[in-house]
Amino acid sequence: MKGKCYIQGMAAISPQPTFEENLFSAQLLYTDNNLLPCKEPDYKPFIPANSLRRMSRMLKIGLTTALKAITDSNLTVQGPIVTGTGKGSLQDTEKFLKEIVTYQETALNPTPFIQSTYNSVNGLIALQQKCTAYNNTFVHRGFSFENALLDSMMLLQEGSDHVLTGAFEEITAEHFYIKSRIGFWKSEQIDSRELLLHNTPGSVAGEGAAFFMLTQEPTDQSYAAINGLKLLYKPSAEKVLSTLQAFAPEVDAVITGRNGDCRFNHFYNIVEQHFDNIPHIPFKHLCGEYDTASAFGMWLGANLLKHQELPEAWFAKDQHPSKPINKILLYNHFYGEQHAFILLERV
Amino acid sequence: MAERVYITGVGMITAIGDDVAGNLQQLHAQKSGLGYTRYIDTVYKNVLPVGEVKHSNQSLFELAGVPIQEGLTRTTLLGLVAMREALQQAGIGDLNAVPTGFINASTVGGMCDTEKVYFDITDPEKDGSFLKFIDTLDCADCTQRIADIVGFGEHIATISTACSSSANALMFGARMIKQGLYDRMVCGGTEALTRFTLNGFNSLKNVDKQFCRPFDQQRTGLNLGEGAAYLVLESESFAKANNSRILGELSGYCNTNEAFHPTSPSPDGDGALEAMRSAMAMSGITSNDVSYINVHGTATLNNDISEGKALERLFGSQVPLFSSTKPFTGHTLAAAGAIEAIYSLLAIRQGLIFPNLNFSEQMEELQISPVTTLMENVTVNHVISNSFGFGGNNASLVISKYEG
Repeated sequence: MKGKCYIQGMAAISPQPTFEENLFSAQLLYTDNNLLPCKEPDYKPFIPANSLRRMSRMLKIGLTTALKAITDSNLTVQGPIVTGTGKGSLQDTEKFLKEIVTYQETALNPTPFIQSTYNSVNGLIALQQKCTAYNNTFVHRGFSFENALLDSMMLLQEGSDHVLTGAFEEITAEHFYIKSRIGFWKSEQIDSRELLLHNTPGSVAGEGAAFFMLTQEPTDQSYAAINGLKLLYKPSAEKVLSTLQAFAPEVDAVITGRNGDCRFNHFYNIVEQHFDNIPHIPFKHLCGEYDTASAFGMWLGANLLKHQELPEAWFAKDQHPSKPINKILLYNHFYGEQHAFILLERV
Repeated sequence: MAERVYITGVGMITAIGDDVAGNLQQLHAQKSGLGYTRYIDTVYKNVLPVGEVKHSNQSLFELAGVPIQEGLTRTTLLGLVAMREALQQAGIGDLNAVPTGFINASTVGGMCDTEKVYFDITDPEKDGSFLKFIDTLDCADCTQRIADIVGFGEHIATISTACSSSANALMFGARMIKQGLYDRMVCGGTEALTRFTLNGFNSLKNVDKQFCRPFDQQRTGLNLGEGAAYLVLESESFAKANNSRILGELSGYCNTNEAFHPTSPSPDGDGALEAMRSAMAMSGITSNDVSYINVHGTATLNNDISEGKALERLFGSQVPLFSSTKPFTGHTLAAAGAIEAIYSLLAIRQGLIFPNLNFSEQMEELQISPVTTLMENVTVNHVISNSFGFGGNNASLVISKYEG
């Protein structure tokens, strides 16, 4: 997808203190049990207490991130809302599955069923903002956020003034166990700060939400421009390289979804070797691995382009860029299947 | 000038037929596919009617032309059957001869099979081939299995907006064509009955113990159904250059959110009204041009009032012929938009208006009532197909006759 749009506002809830002030002096939070949970904020300033009680964790995280991105943009949401999520509210899905068995299919509380629906976060944002515009939810693993982004870029081309675009994901203890049975996570317990030093199968689980207010036109406040998006489904290594050669112009840094999984590192090697003289900025040691982790990567890239710096504690000294960063390629794939290239540019 | 988007192939499987011809035959015979489940393990087995596809998974493997194996869910198998027909009908042999995208829709992915083994999967004491179903827990699984088996290698996506999912898949595909990203997209959805969904709707007190009665005063809810449907969409220039057989046009569409309530539509049908009005405007047609409306018509108390009010507000005293085909198929959720888009196309091509079965008593809130017997030899030029869902996700499509 060509065409250009601008990130006017954004917000993230993640395993790092990304929702707080003073991002660049934020600490590096970590885990040693292979699961990086979100550092959840106080939701009360965003959601009335009586609503809060009824909402499951994913809905709170998703809605609050969306609301903060809207506030950050200084716009109101009259335009489309498009999101991506690989798994939706897992907690609700698990709860309803269990209650069906426990209560033998009788007198069930419908709330977990309703909230388990993948479009429930989107519906809630629309309801809360009284926004009747276009509303869509993509649910395709490592293409969930990417298709939401594609949809949003098309909407802007079709004439929408602005689009609220986001992604959200949660991990539960139960789902962590389930995915451990098919090799998603490292079998040895590691310090998440050293994720990329462990050249073994699997990664560290993560979760999070990131929302972006995208606009047709830039302002003084814009974080970055998005001016290219390319998706590849189950490509060969050669296809990744040829796409890179055809798609990517010169960039000043590469943000990579490198996740320490030795089974799929070769794809990241191709991209990093292609750009061997510029900074390579990994981000999965910050947010962990999940279907929509690329949204966190884009949030990080947009911050870097606007502020020309990265939170000091998150990267080693020599990883911080020493030259101006005007163009960034974000490359991510989800367990070798869904590959995405996103081009970001300084405004 | 954006390309027009033509429909050049269709494929489907529902409770009333294994292919498009089978569906048409049963619609024509006015025979419902509703009955009681043979394949879901539920206490409501003999209580709540459903629109179940009349095949075991074993038999679906055969229909789908794949060897029996672990990891292929009923959702995937239904999708494969419909997909194979759509591609064959469109005359597509080698999918990679022309870059072709695939937009699928699903509400609960492979839940139909995972719910049967979920507690084995979460039990560390248990091990076995059921672990092959772990991947089928999400909505992308069925899309990728179908893509891999038939050979899609380009853009793929899965949409989940509850009951409007496959209408949105068609819309997204059409927009990608208009943007010039692809000349050909295959779009639709697949849905298998699950104990999860049945209990979900039942917990909302939305399921009728009788066969559903859309737009009837005595209606008390929906019956769930299952099925899959895909439509091959092509840009006008490609379809013509390729000599594709053009079956009809997807001439208008609208996606809007009602922002009224998490699960209920507004009593006045604001969202439904806006979806239909905008889809018609895009299609360039006025009220008089609409020959038939395949309504969402789930037979829940709220939907039918809301949708009926929207029809009356939009069309005044001249509401076009309308019917819900849900009493034939049940409410197939993510597949409904695509299944009913094909029914709309059949209405145009066969000159038929399908009856709204099980209607007997006029709703007191409305002045209008649906078509109740099959109408033949009708000139049908433009059909509106409605799909409204949870989360306020409303979608309307306009399917038009191809006059080429």
